[in-house]
Amino acid sequence: MSAAIQLTPLRDACPGMVLSDVLLDPKGNVLLMQGVVLTEAMLASLARHGVESLPIFHAESESPEPAFDAQAVQARLDYLFRANVRDDHADWATGILRRYVEDYRLQRTVGA
Amino acid sequence: MSRLTLEQIVQSVQDLPSMPAVVMELLSSIEQDDIDISVLAKKVSYDQALTARTLRLANSSSYGLQVKVTTIQQAITYLGFQTTRNLITAAALTGCFPSGSCPGFNDKAFWRHSIATAACARALARRMRFNQDVAFTAGLLHDIGRLVLVSADPQAYAEVVALRAREDIEWQDAEGTVLGVDHVEAGVALAQQWNFSDTMRQAIAYHHAPDTVGAGFLAAIVHVANAIVHALDIAGEENERVPRIASIAWDAMGLNEEAYLHLFRETEVQFMEMSAVLMA
Repeated sequence: MSAAIQLTPLRDACPGMVLSDVLLDPKGNVLLMQGVVLTEAMLASLARHGVESLPIFHAESESPEPAFDAQAVQARLDYLFRANVRDDHADWATGILRRYVEDYRLQRTVGA
Repeated sequence: MSRLTLEQIVQSVQDLPSMPAVVMELLSSIEQDDIDISVLAKKVSYDQALTARTLRLANSSSYGLQVKVTTIQQAITYLGFQTTRNLITAAALTGCFPSGSCPGFNDKAFWRHSIATAACARALARRMRFNQDVAFTAGLLHDIGRLVLVSADPQAYAEVVALRAREDIEWQDAEGTVLGVDHVEAGVALAQQWNFSDTMRQAIAYHHAPDTVGAGFLAAIVHVANAIVHALDIAGEENERVPRIASIAWDAMGLNEEAYLHLFRETEVQFMEMSAVLMA
């Protein structure tokens, strides 16, 4: 990830754009996690939260970086699921949730 | 040693301030349909702060109202009695426990987790054709025993927080070691004190053990919703940790991946909406 994060005004943000960083409200509460794909409902809600600009990944930027720091996202997920041993069949339910949340956060295509 | 007895816990529950009587009435009658709506609406409207919070929640886009409601009675007309009752409960509960008394206990993270679990449990219940309002309240209340323990002995709970961080163990284990009781037992004591329904009390009692015989479906919903919210990292706790999911509860949901991905998004959006009102 580049050190400088570019902020996009809320009015220029559209559904489908991806957050390049965690988004906080003016009081410092986490509103959305890094890597979230924005929806119309989220954008409407952000306006009501007093959010004026967002850290958004720009596909047109010259560097072919991924939309977010996938490695950092994966590392955080591994930390969250530290009680779960991957491929532990006795703990399959946690393993499935883990895979689904990874697909969700890392935006892997599902069932395609 | 700072051991708490169930008597002390019950005592501290009795000492809890500012839980409006009307909310106690709502909580104990959550599964009854034969309540006189107009009387309740009137009682709630005497509490201006509670009314204001409830109406803001009703007007948030979570509920998709086309018109702005300005009275409790109106909210009931547009949203239905059950949903309005939910909103009143959420608005009252999030404001009734004192905050900041226990060093290291993150009240904000607690409520973020509880509100998100309520939203997730409601979304799960809708897919299961289970009563959404009951699921919402159970999600909101599932960890309420932690607040009871914090209120009963803030200093001792600070030790729980420290032990849990140091050893990276589950809350229940840290509480049992330091206090001799855990948040599940404290939650059940509160549920008795406040006359919650049996279903609600069971959901609190078994949300960590939905595989217990007779635990009930609501406990399974809350169990899965709780794990999902930990996994979505919504509370904002640095040392967040996803607990082990009981396979029986996961199986009972019977949802496919696509359904879960929608559920994750719905939980995040609903949480944003509700937290803006409840944590303002």
